[in-house]
Amino acid sequence: MKARKIYNRIELLRKEKSITRKELANKIGVNFQTIGYLEREEYNPSLDLAFRISEVFELPIEIIFSTKPFKPLSQLLIK
Amino acid sequence: MDYKLSIKRKKYGVVITFISLLSTVLIFEYGRIEHWSFVLRILQLVSLIVLVLSITFTYVKTGLWNFTHKPIEKLDEREVALTSKSLRLSYSIFSVLVLILLMYFSIAERPLNIVLVVSLVLFAHLLPASVIIWLVKHTKKM
Repeated sequence: MKARKIYNRIELLRKEKSITRKELANKIGVNFQTIGYLEREEYNPSLDLAFRISEVFELPIEIIFSTKPFKPLSQLLIK
Repeated sequence: MDYKLSIKRKKYGVVITFISLLSTVLIFEYGRIEHWSFVLRILQLVSLIVLVLSITFTYVKTGLWNFTHKPIEKLDEREVALTSKSLRLSYSIFSVLVLILLMYFSIAERPLNIVLVVSLVLFAHLLPASVIIWLVKHTKKM
């Protein structure tokens, strides 16, 4: 079965929190390169990893991950 | 462990490693069947030096060797998925290659030499890391 692409806002949230890839990686227990793969949406995280990421950003999973592309922030702000 | 190589250079490294591994086996086989001339001994030595250097710079110093030989508990889920995919592919490539070689040696009624066996063992250890180089797009260091 071919997995669907999962879109995410990890890079945006990480920069908002002013944390490096290495710091985020240490918090969720993965290699820092995995954060790069997640941010580029080249790797779909497991449910466990998605929950760990949502715990770090203190946001619900559906705010961080989506099966549909996220609208640009500028569009959301105009609404 | 801070040695970094671009994906393109790593691919060149893999090609050089496998060519030198193959030439080591072929030179040894030729020398065993024919005779060990001075030129042949030099060629064997050169191919061995190239093999050692290419393994050191392509696999050991880049951390690829460690990556494919790490215990599974020390890998994160993306790394587990990546190594699993590379091992699956490597197993297929290796088993087909060994089957072809065994069939050839059986049909040609030639004995297996120790250099070939050692090379196959080394090839089996290098193959997963080599497959990873082709699977990974961005990583410069594992």
